[in-house]
Amino acid sequence: MTRMTVQVSRFEPDAGVSARLVPYEVEVHEGARVLHALYAIHEQDPTLAYRYCCGSGQCGSCAVRVNGKPGLACMTPVVDGDVIEPLDLPVVRDLVVDLVPRIERIAALIPGDRAELPDRETVDAMKDRCDCVECGSCISVCPAVAVSDFAGPTAMRQLERLQVDPRDAEDRVVQARDDGLFNCTSCHACYEACPKDIRIMGKAIERLRAEANRRGFTLPRHLEVSDLVRTTGRSVVRTETPLFERIDPVIEPYGPVRGEVAFFVGCMYSMRLPQTALDAIEVLRRNGIRVVVPMEQVCCGSPLIRTGQLDQLPRVMTINRKAFAPYPVVMTMCAGCGATLKNDYEDLPFRVMDINEVLTEFGIEPPAHLSVTVTYHDPCHLLRGQGISEQPRAFIRQVADLVEMPARCCGSGGGVKSGKPEVAAALGELRREAIAATGAEQVVTSCPFCEFHIAGHTDLPVRNITSLLLEAYRKKDEKEAAASTPPSN
Amino acid sequence: MVENGATSSHVLVIGSGGAGVRAAIEAAEHGSVVLLSKTIAGKGGCTPMAEGGYNAVLREEDDPSLHAADTLKGGAYLNDPALVEALVHEAPDRVRELVAWGAVFDVAPGGGVAQRPFGGQQRPRTCYAGDRTGHEMMVTLMDRLAATDVRVVHECAAVELLLDEGRCAGAAALNRDGELGVFLADAVVLATGGGTQVYDISTNSASGTGDGYALGYRAGAELIDMEMVQFHPTGAIQPYDARGRLVTEAVRGEGGRLLNSLGERFMSRYDPERMELSTRDVVARAIATEILEGRGTERGGVWLDVTHLPPEQVEERLPIMLEQFLAYGVDIRKEPMEVAPTAHHIMGGLRITPGCATTVPGLFAAGECSGGVHGANRLGGNALAETQVFGRRAGRSAGLEPERRREVTPAIDRQLGALRRRFDDYLDGEVPPHSVVKRLKLTMWEGAGIFRDHEGLARALAGVEALRNERLRATTRRNLLECCTAENQCLLASLICRAGLLRPECRGAHTRRDPTCELPPDRSPYGHTFLSLASEGIEEVRT
Repeated sequence: MTRMTVQVSRFEPDAGVSARLVPYEVEVHEGARVLHALYAIHEQDPTLAYRYCCGSGQCGSCAVRVNGKPGLACMTPVVDGDVIEPLDLPVVRDLVVDLVPRIERIAALIPGDRAELPDRETVDAMKDRCDCVECGSCISVCPAVAVSDFAGPTAMRQLERLQVDPRDAEDRVVQARDDGLFNCTSCHACYEACPKDIRIMGKAIERLRAEANRRGFTLPRHLEVSDLVRTTGRSVVRTETPLFERIDPVIEPYGPVRGEVAFFVGCMYSMRLPQTALDAIEVLRRNGIRVVVPMEQVCCGSPLIRTGQLDQLPRVMTINRKAFAPYPVVMTMCAGCGATLKNDYEDLPFRVMDINEVLTEFGIEPPAHLSVTVTYHDPCHLLRGQGISEQPRAFIRQVADLVEMPARCCGSGGGVKSGKPEVAAALGELRREAIAATGAEQVVTSCPFCEFHIAGHTDLPVRNITSLLLEAYRKKDEKEAAASTPPSN
Repeated sequence: MVENGATSSHVLVIGSGGAGVRAAIEAAEHGSVVLLSKTIAGKGGCTPMAEGGYNAVLREEDDPSLHAADTLKGGAYLNDPALVEALVHEAPDRVRELVAWGAVFDVAPGGGVAQRPFGGQQRPRTCYAGDRTGHEMMVTLMDRLAATDVRVVHECAAVELLLDEGRCAGAAALNRDGELGVFLADAVVLATGGGTQVYDISTNSASGTGDGYALGYRAGAELIDMEMVQFHPTGAIQPYDARGRLVTEAVRGEGGRLLNSLGERFMSRYDPERMELSTRDVVARAIATEILEGRGTERGGVWLDVTHLPPEQVEERLPIMLEQFLAYGVDIRKEPMEVAPTAHHIMGGLRITPGCATTVPGLFAAGECSGGVHGANRLGGNALAETQVFGRRAGRSAGLEPERRREVTPAIDRQLGALRRRFDDYLDGEVPPHSVVKRLKLTMWEGAGIFRDHEGLARALAGVEALRNERLRATTRRNLLECCTAENQCLLASLICRAGLLRPECRGAHTRRDPTCELPPDRSPYGHTFLSLASEGIEEVRT
């Protein structure tokens, strides 16, 4: 038996006070799950309300947040110091949330003329979406659910599964559109929270959006993006002199060459935020990395995939594949491009690395410390799309004081900023509050979409991580220059 | 004096597993229906946890008479033949119905629902959706339920059946806040599932507390064969808190091998013909014997091995097993599972007619809380089929009951008064229910487990009766239900022990070390054991 202390959120609906964390000391067996700690707590204090049933991950009754992350209590190992809270849904009492209204938004199959089991191919195409145990975890973390009438990730999962099923009589694409299909920001928080590892964005929402595209339901603003890619190779219009017109195709570092990357610039950094890309190139040069920029590169295709417009996809993929084929390492600094190259392109002949990974792998020259407090916004396509969270923080800590805030989508992804601006704006405003709560003086991030969007929802400067590093190098240079220049009397 | 007024419907269905939901769907064809669920409907009971499959004759090479013969032989001929006939003849229609309603079963190479071999079957007859068959069925049934006018009352537990002039007229229930609710109906379907949570090691969900047996018994219904408790041969044994968790028979259906600590495929000693796919009673006894005789693992189990199967087969057909064992650090594609028997299913239950009528007018029962379908041992895959066949039958019978005046009569009011006094006693009680239940589970595992004798059963019964006399305590009104549940569990345990004492033979799952009759099951002079408020005994077959 192991003795441990866990904190559990207690909430009385009629007491007129907000939820509070209460520590409990419990004894559990080796290998115990959170549920077993809750059993033990309930024995000490029978007033604790919590929900559970099968105890083996099959009924979805017991989802709670453990240290902020949703999980089934019966499957999540319990560790000393754990903080156990209800899912971020309306709380009935203690750990019990109001789950039924959410479950009721999951569509039911309406039988049509076909009564036979579909063929194996069709069954295989929907099988993994049948694993859902309707625990509510995905709904509780979905940013679009928080600010709009989006029916939620698992509701979309079900609509896609029904859409595939020839036995279902309803028009699920129309239903999905009406239930907020285009509100999903592709943040992947649902996948991260799902105890059954269902990739709702890729396996349901993108597929439904592709079906919506075939049916002519693509949002007008998304069609414009697709037209732009067709005519210009880029998904955004130029507002600045594009990066490609400002640089040479090969940029040598300042000192000895320690490495080389081929730079996949992406639409935002080439057309909208070229200065940020130039800052990044300066940081790379300073750290001995040669930057090669294949000029034929085009949009990675992410805006097309996320909005279900797949017709041009093979073409842009082929162009990019060919443009970068000669180089062993391709570097992205746009989180969206990086996630797309890594997850949507298949069998690439080169390695794709985000700039944070490149700088971490080569190691950077120590920068000066700037007397500034910053908070870091995790770009979804970096954090969940590429699993990168610690590297940027390590750099930030070298140059500034870092105050954390909860990782949450800013609203700029998935075509939501263009297609559903009100949803994007509402999420942007939530970021404003979260940023303000940190007391930071600046916001640092590592994605052009986040950078651009958050800048419209905070009064603080929003900086790319490489811009921050560059400033720190410049300060270092100034200091060193000041030290080597004798004071003039 | 009814808090929140009484809820009235033509049919009241108690329980939201496979049988309850199927009954509600059917009853809705005949009138208003309320479905009362202790959990969030669709999440409770054992159906969503049922892994392996659903037995139905679907192909030319199989025949209902073979399914019936397998079921009767597997059940040691204690089954009620009329119920078996209903099961085997209607199971195919019910599975086709589920398919028409959208169930995503696995597909056979030539199309149609795939079937795999399970223990005790002459043909591969078990339809499946990977190893989450019950979950798939439940999702499908909930979809169908949503298309009806059935009023679903979530998280509200029936605590007593209400009787009026000898008829079942509804139920009293407690909601999440501990408020008493009254549900009146012309007919009531009990579909509360099983109760092996009375054992220390059990596969059942937390809702497997035997409420239906207790409610039915207290209402005067007759129960049969309550000694027939199926110990599933393969339950997980570690870590401690996951002990008893079901390791599906599908593992053996897919070719899994049982090995003792010497590496012997020991089933060759117990059933050389059927080996691992013998019936559950035989396999469970074999494993228990290996462990008792010192050929078990250090932790007191045996090995169940699928490492010789292609990893893709394990991934596709046994995904839940893979996921659950991986969660505890065991990759079953590369290493064997460690397993031991676990209390799984109660074959006994309320005596029913093929129309699911119990011995109390107005009260119907379906699914695990009823008895007679499986006899002395249930075949894997027959329980899911039972939920659908008898769920539908119970719903129909209840729906066809005539409309009556539904009101809180003086007789019902008296029962509610008694219930309130019982609640007051709980609020004034001394012993926390979890303490009673813990001791109960150990007592039952010790005295009414796989191997039984008179002395052990009598000792267990004495222990259970002592526990029934303890004064349960509810800390708040919200804890009243825990007291009611503990009381139900104690009553169920008592019924199991009493029935066990009544049957002096080894029959199916009931293994006596001290049998006074050693005739083979097909020549046994004994029929059902029976227990009711009025009488208890064992039927003797006159030859």
